[in-house]
Amino acid sequence: MTRETTTQICKAQKVIAILWPSFIVAGIATVLFFTVFDPEQLLADKPWGNISRLGAYTIGFFLFWILCATSCSLTCYFRKPCSTVNT
Amino acid sequence: MNESNKPTSPPLDETQSTLYARREKIYPREVHGIFAMWRTIGVLVLLGLYYFVPWLQWNGQQAVLFDLPARKFYIFGLTLWPQDFIYLTVLLIVAALSLFFFTALAGRLWCGYACPQTVWTEVFLWIERKIEGDRSKQMKLDKAPWTPAKFYIKGFKHIVWIVFSAYTGFIFVGYFTPITTLATDLMSLNAGPWETFWVVFYGFATYGNAGWMREQVCLYMCPYARFQSAMFDRETLIISYDTNRGEPRGSRKKGDDYTARGLGQCVDCTMCVQVCPTGIDIRDGLQYQCIGCAACIDVCNDVMQKMDYPKGLIRYTTQTALEGKPTHILRPRTIFYAAILIGIVIALGNAIAHRVPLALDVIRDRNSLYRETNEGLIENVYTLKILNMDDIDHNYSLSIAGSAEGIDDMVIDLDQEYIQVNKGEVSDVPLRVRVDPYDLKTRSTRITFRIQAVDDPELAVEEDARFLGPIQR
Repeated sequence: MTRETTTQICKAQKVIAILWPSFIVAGIATVLFFTVFDPEQLLADKPWGNISRLGAYTIGFFLFWILCATSCSLTCYFRKPCSTVNT
Repeated sequence: MNESNKPTSPPLDETQSTLYARREKIYPREVHGIFAMWRTIGVLVLLGLYYFVPWLQWNGQQAVLFDLPARKFYIFGLTLWPQDFIYLTVLLIVAALSLFFFTALAGRLWCGYACPQTVWTEVFLWIERKIEGDRSKQMKLDKAPWTPAKFYIKGFKHIVWIVFSAYTGFIFVGYFTPITTLATDLMSLNAGPWETFWVVFYGFATYGNAGWMREQVCLYMCPYARFQSAMFDRETLIISYDTNRGEPRGSRKKGDDYTARGLGQCVDCTMCVQVCPTGIDIRDGLQYQCIGCAACIDVCNDVMQKMDYPKGLIRYTTQTALEGKPTHILRPRTIFYAAILIGIVIALGNAIAHRVPLALDVIRDRNSLYRETNEGLIENVYTLKILNMDDIDHNYSLSIAGSAEGIDDMVIDLDQEYIQVNKGEVSDVPLRVRVDPYDLKTRSTRITFRIQAVDDPELAVEEDARFLGPIQR
């Protein structure tokens, strides 16, 4: 009987593996998106269009971060070997 | 009798073990030497620039300001618009090429001397040393129980760290919104919510990264550590322990005949381990945790000097040199990187120097493709967006460049003779162009609009558009 032994990373590294790459990519996405699209023009007709540009950049960045973190989480989730799934 | 159906051993196909041990705090010992001096100079210059530059003024406004609310980047008289994004892309390429070049040359120079994480951590360690004492005092304090004295010392340290971090956060935001306004707003508790948020966020990030996480950023978060070896070759200068000279290691008295005892020059003082900010033993060889700070070199040279041995038991050297072969710092790889780097920097400088601070966008009126006037001419309606990216006001004249595919007589209907656009502003100009239908050869004719500054004919820009007409019979 052979057993395959794999070493796992610590919890801190798992959390960082999701939050940090998503942070970097969200930063890049924010820069690229808001260079092309001016938030003042984007939100002009919307009811919450009174937000300042800095506010739009901030919220846009955090939305991107959440989006990318979701992607990273799914990647980590799908790394689980099929043989360890319970059904 | 075991009636339980539960398995008593892990699944047969895979076992996972965790090499997880709670992180032990690393107390890097203070070090002095030539490389420590260079690191200190690096800290002073880089942080000096960081804290000082936002306060500089140029032509009545902040010299370096990446004005996010106004969507313009000001760098000493150069005003960059979002349309100039290409320059920042090229700058990024320059940064990447510099990284490849310096890493091929001497490994992780960035990490040891210039990286913000290293630089700020050094300041925070210095503050900690001043408040808590040297390495042994710090270790003793951490082991001690929580007395009021310990509380005050630790508390004072964190307060100093937090104040320093808050100021760092404030300076950071000062690069993105005018710093003098930000300063007065913050002090009168009148700052905008988003500016305040980012000051706190960045301040907290500084405090967390430099005060708490320290080398963990380098170990767990930095991607550079992991792909650095792809940029090394056998003639890259890396920090190495000379195994041939040092081994076998062993302690001895100064003046002992160590070769007679079969020892190498390493006295196993473990100083190199004590000064290491990432807690490795460089004598085990180059490891990914090594950030190239050269603290081990400095301290080992110190010990070697005390023992009257030659310096350089741990030193910057190359793999080929350690094998006794000749080493070339100047080699195809480094020359190639240097050449490309210089080339692109010159090209970038040239492009920026000859940048035309004027842009023209032609937007077609969406209501119709074309219309026929009362006189039977075909008319197209456009809106011209003229961007005056210069720092003085200009008047511009408009013309059709060339004779749009053989059409001699194109009438431009413009309200005014000259279009005035103030500095840094965008002007929308409605425009009608009329052509005799007999002159139109095709359904879609290319025309080129040209705007030119009246006071400076060199300041001109052209933009293509299409003139549409009826289907040709």
